[in-house]
Order: sequence, then C-alpha cells, then structure tokens
Amino acid sequence: MKKALGIIGIFIAVFLLASLYGENFLTGINLMQLTQRTALYAIIALGAALVIVTGGIDLSIGSVVCLAGIMTPWLLVEHEWSPWAVVPTVLATSAAIGLFHGLLITRLRLQPFLVTLCGLLLYRGIARWMTGDQTQGFMGEHGELRKLATGRFEIPGVENFLLPATVIPAGILAIMLGIFYSRTVWGRWLLATGRNESAARYSGIPTAWLVTGSYVGCSLLAGFGGMLFIFDLSSAQPSDFGNFYELYAIAAAVLGGCSLRGGEISITGVVFGAATLQVLRNTITLVGLSSQIEFAVIGAVLLVGVAADEGVRRFMAKRLERSPAPSG
Amino acid sequence: MKKLISVLALASFGLGLAAAAPADRTAELVAAQKARIEAAKAAPKAKTHVAFVSNGVADFWTIAKAGAIAAGRDLGCTVTVEFPGGGLSDQKRMLEDLVIKGIDGISVSPIDPTNQVEVLNLVAEKSILITNDSDAPKAPRLCYIGMDNYEAGLMCGKLAREGLPNGGEVAIFIGRLEQDNAKRRRQGFIDGLLGRTPDPTRYDEPATVVSEAGYTIVGTWTDSFDRAKAKANIEDVIIKHPKLALVTGLFEYNSTLAVEVLRQTGKQGKIQLAAFDEGADVIAGIKEGFVLGTVVQDPYGYGYESVRVLNALAKGDMSLVPESGVLNIPAKVIRKDNADAFWKDLKAKLKAGKDAK
Repeated sequence: MKKALGIIGIFIAVFLLASLYGENFLTGINLMQLTQRTALYAIIALGAALVIVTGGIDLSIGSVVCLAGIMTPWLLVEHEWSPWAVVPTVLATSAAIGLFHGLLITRLRLQPFLVTLCGLLLYRGIARWMTGDQTQGFMGEHGELRKLATGRFEIPGVENFLLPATVIPAGILAIMLGIFYSRTVWGRWLLATGRNESAARYSGIPTAWLVTGSYVGCSLLAGFGGMLFIFDLSSAQPSDFGNFYELYAIAAAVLGGCSLRGGEISITGVVFGAATLQVLRNTITLVGLSSQIEFAVIGAVLLVGVAADEGVRRFMAKRLERSPAPSG
Repeated sequence: MKKLISVLALASFGLGLAAAAPADRTAELVAAQKARIEAAKAAPKAKTHVAFVSNGVADFWTIAKAGAIAAGRDLGCTVTVEFPGGGLSDQKRMLEDLVIKGIDGISVSPIDPTNQVEVLNLVAEKSILITNDSDAPKAPRLCYIGMDNYEAGLMCGKLAREGLPNGGEVAIFIGRLEQDNAKRRRQGFIDGLLGRTPDPTRYDEPATVVSEAGYTIVGTWTDSFDRAKAKANIEDVIIKHPKLALVTGLFEYNSTLAVEVLRQTGKQGKIQLAAFDEGADVIAGIKEGFVLGTVVQDPYGYGYESVRVLNALAKGDMSLVPESGVLNIPAKVIRKDNADAFWKDLKAKLKAGKDAK
C-alpha cells in the first residue's frame, strides 16, 4: 500500500484538477465511461505487473491484445463457432503464448526483451495473415456475449451511475492478485525471485516455474483484455488494433510502484496507475485542449508527479534520519 | 580568428548547398516519363507488370485489390498489390523495393505527399507514377484516379444539413489530418454543412470553433488510428457538449465507432450521424434509420482503373489520361432506400478481393 501512495496522490491531484476545469467531468456517465476504460487498461496493466515483478518485461502485450481480440469475432462470425468454444480457445491460445515466452526465457535463457519483442511482431503478423487484413467485427450479432464488456449494472441507492460489467473481472483479478502477493508463499517467492533470482534459486525456490507462470499470467490477461476490448469496440482492424498498448500497460504498472528492477509490486498502485492515465486523457478532451498536445500533457504531468513523489520520499527519509533515535 | 574563418566557411558552404538544391524537378520528371511512354510506343511490351500501393490496411483496400486483380486478369498484365501496415516508412520501403524490382508503373495513395517528394520523384524517374485515392498534385504524377475528396466531403456536409435543417452543434471525428484527402474531405464537409459556396482552397483551422448560419462546429478530433482512443473521443465530446446535435466520422472506423457509441449511450436519434464509408455497423444503422446516410467511394474502381491506365501507359498509350490529369470516380450517397443493394454488391467484391492471391 505504501508504494501506491505516490500514484494515489497524483491520481487525486489530476482528478481534482479535472473536476475544476473539465466540463461535465463529474457527471455519472463520464465517471461510468472512465471506470470502464480504467478496468480495461487495468487488466492488461496487471498482466504487465506480473512479469515486471520478476525483473522481466513483456513487449508483446499489444500484439496479444490484437491476436486475441481479432480471433474472437473471427471465430464467432466468420467460422460460426459457438461462444462456449471460442472463449476457452482464445484464452488457451493466450496462455500458450505466455508459456512459450516463459520457456524460452527460463529454459533457453533468452532475454525477455528479445523474446517478447519478437512476439510483438509475430502475433500481429499472425493476426493479419489469418484474417487477410480484414476488419473483424460482430456484425450486430452476439449482443449477449458482448455484455461481458458492454453490460451495465445498477447500484442500489446510486442514481445516474451504472457500474460497467468490466469492473467485475478487473476487481476480482485485483483482489486475487493482491492476496496472492501478500498472503501466499508463492507470492513471497516471486518477490524474492524478482529481488535476486540466484539467491532465490539457491534457497530452493523453483524460480524457473514461477517466472514461466508469470509470463503465462501476463499473456492470459492480455488475451482476456483483448477480448473485452473488442467486445467494447465491436470491430477492429488487425494492423492497428492494440498498437502501443504494452506501453500503456507498462506505464501504469511502473507508475503504480512496480520497480523495473523487479521484486516490488503494488496491485492498488497498478489500478490507480491505469486510472490516472485514463483520467488524464479524458481531461484533455473535456478541458478542450487539442488532441495534438495529448501525449505532451500526459508525459509532462506524469513526470512532475513522479518527481514530486520522489522528492517527498527523500525529504521524509532525511527527517527520519535526523530525528533522535528512540531511547531505551 | 581561425575559428571564425572556419565557421564562416562552413556557413557559406551550407548556403551554397541550399542554393544548389534542386528546386522543383516536377516538370522535368513529367517530361521524362512522357518521353519514355512515347518511346515504348515503338516496341510495346507484350506483358506489363504494374503495382497498386495503398496508404494502409483496411477493407476499403481489400475491395480496391479486387478491382486491381480483376483488371490484371481482363488485360493480361501482372499486378502486385501492396498494403503498407506501418505508415510512412513502410510505404517508402515498398515503393523503393518495387522500383528496384523494375516495375513498369505504380499507382500509389501517398500518405503525406508534401514530405514524400523524394520517393515519389524516384518512382517517376525510374518508372511511371500515378496516384489514387489521395492526390499529390505537386508530385510528378501523370494521373490521379479517385474522387475529389472535397466534393465527397461536400456531399456528406449536405447530408448533415438535411438532417439538421435548423442548425445546431456538430463535432467532426477523423483518424488524422496530415493527408491531403483528410483535409479536403473535412473542409468539404464544413462548407456543405454551412451552405457556403464551394471553394476547395478554403481552410478552417482544426483548432478553431466555426460558428456560422446557426451551426457551430465545436471541433475536430483525431486519434492516429487507435480505436479505443477514437471511441473515447466521441464519448468525451458528447459529455463535454450536451447540446451536440450531430456527429460525423470522416474515416470508416470513426463512423463505425460513432454508431457503437450512440447505441451504448442510448443516443440513437437524439444525436444524428452523417457517415463516411461502408462499415457494416453504419449500413445497419442506416437500415434501422438512426444514421442519416453515408458517403461511399468506389475503391473497386480505383483499383481497376489504376491498372488499366498504368498498363496503357506502359505500352505507350496516353489516351486514357484526361487532359486535366484527373480521372474522376465520383462518390455516392447511400440512404435507407439503396442500402440493401449496395451491401450485397460490396460483399461480393470484398470476397473477390480476399480470394485474390
């Protein structure tokens, strides 16, 4: 939780600014749409966090989002598979991709950066080849299945705000991962592996399997996210769908307190990291800034926020040092 | 002192270079191409090899491919079709590779014509250059095949005006504004909506709010082809402008996503949509009645005519190129009454393009 304080502070600052200057920012529908986007990006960001905690990286997230997202309508509409077959197939494919990465990294000792960079090219290429570069969409069908992302629930006692369906899987995932890393021995082992893999291995921790498992988890979440993204969008084009999403996922994870050196994770932080990015993008439109300046604003705000966070941390650490040691 | 002299020397060298840079080779390259075509007349090739290069990847281009392949079959020439998936640099690489291959002619939809002068000049120097879909009027192209994007935008603007006769707030969504066709299409839309006298040279800055004749264009939003972002743009603008009466999506997926957002937010009929291109959801929305209509191009015609013109040029025949250098393939408006027939025809062409190898 402590690690998440910085990003929560940045989130609150951005949120307050948006409420002050963004037109209709605090309306129910806007908050609902923001919750939806946050949940979607948080799912892939949580996946990114899983591998970052081991000291690895996954650059193929965007392409897995693309492959899984494109496969879903391709199998459902073009090949007329049943949804009961499509969802498990897409998820199994995503998990298999993760297993492939994990084995290459732990058994063949290839660099995660290299393996997943090749993955980035490979899976998008496959998606484009498989579909002949055609846009894939649901053609107005499968409305029930798409409710996984487009569904909205009423919250008793709350008016003008419906809870997007994507919050449910995102919330369950976040809670499960939170418990996993803080309360289970495997979670502890993973943190130890991320801190110092050799030391962990010599202590008898099955590091190779844990790291492989993390890559499986990451690709699985990317695939699941991709499926939800396309349920939300209704159609996508294989050549551009999910481009650069790995960067949003990695940025949310690192902003949320995951160290790129490994060994540190904060699930709350990752969710707030994803939320901050989405609120920033939303604010830029609502304030009426040109979309050309969007990336510049996001970059500048995050840099200022992260620098302020680090400054406060150092200041507090110094004060602790100076304060007299407790007597006794 | 030595330093000063060397700085001055460098500066004058730089100036000299700038002065010596080739100013404009367009006229020279056009003449060279024509001379080569004239020469080909004497001994025309039995079988030509021509190429069709898109500006990206989309169903639109798959249909164009079907047209190009069909023309190749009808005319007995070899056709290579390339779709650059990675933007400007990818298109440049493809054009260079085709030239190296010794292709007889290339029809390209340039992504950013003003900054692609070098590679377009290269094509004109070694092969024959024509453009399709989006023109490069300052490049040494012998012909442009496509519709006038200003005219098509005008059609879409008039469609919007019909749906909104008493004025109101309007928002424009478009993938990006760098390319010539996007700028002209947007300007056409604005002029058509506001009922101005058509003038393709007019340009309203995207950052300014245009208020005229009861209409207010609240802005133009771009997304660099990120669909999630494109969808978020529409959602956010609807929230920022509660009085919004009409939206237009000037690229295919912008319109498709507008349909999706209207459905998800329950704004069908409350916010009108004047669409562009033939997304499946857009056609469904037209049939249901909450989309005013859509302006469609004829990509099949772009592909077919590109190959037909290039094949003739490579054999020394200039007769297919109109005097103006523009071969107009006009856009048309699809409304509720002709949506079904249009959709059937489109599916058949799309299938042909997909099956073509």
